[in-house]
Amino acid sequence: MSEKAERDKKAITSYYSELNRFGQNGEYERAIKAANKILNLAPHEFLAFQYKVICLIELSKFDEAIRLLNGNAQFDNQLTFEKAYCLYRANKHDESLKIVDQIEDLDLRSKELKAQILYRLERYEEAAALYRDIVKNTDDDYEDERHTNLSAVMVYLDNEQTKDRIE
Amino acid sequence: LPPAMEPIPAKPLFYDLALNFVEFPDLTEKLEGGQPKQKGAGISGFVKGLWGWGKK
Repeated sequence: MSEKAERDKKAITSYYSELNRFGQNGEYERAIKAANKILNLAPHEFLAFQYKVICLIELSKFDEAIRLLNGNAQFDNQLTFEKAYCLYRANKHDESLKIVDQIEDLDLRSKELKAQILYRLERYEEAAALYRDIVKNTDDDYEDERHTNLSAVMVYLDNEQTKDRIE
Repeated sequence: LPPAMEPIPAKPLFYDLALNFVEFPDLTEKLEGGQPKQKGAGISGFVKGLWGWGKK
């Protein structure tokens, strides 16, 4: 029994090195297979599960990722950002927003996602306010893209205000 | 004569920035030996490199 446990442990370590290599090389299908091998031996390996979810996102298999997260309640609440992102990409914007709003202390990435969801939901006032907050509080390589997104929000805000004036 | 130019409505550009924050977790703790082993490989590689250089 303990011999088997020892063997499994070794196997898991070697599958993790496969997983790491395939993931870094962008071979997501093979990475998923390695993650599955780990999860077959040890269903509670959170890192393998998380890796698998992210591979599915990289492969744009959002519905499959959502199914996987829904079927694994024990990991689900640790991957709220990933789940909300999948729902966003699956065009389930209301559900996605609901999950983001459950996150306490929104971190930057969740704010970024929330702003995008608000944009898709045509809640431009809120999206603009959130983008202003993000722009003020970040210093990364995506400043230009973020300003582009804020401009897109402003286009619609502007349209709505013009419409109001005409009506 | 080409027809006069006129503006048409266009959808504004909008980036998916959140995707950039979807990142793989660090697996170092799950890999055999973690960092110490890498260091060892680096040094032996350097020594091997020296031998190879000597032979040439």
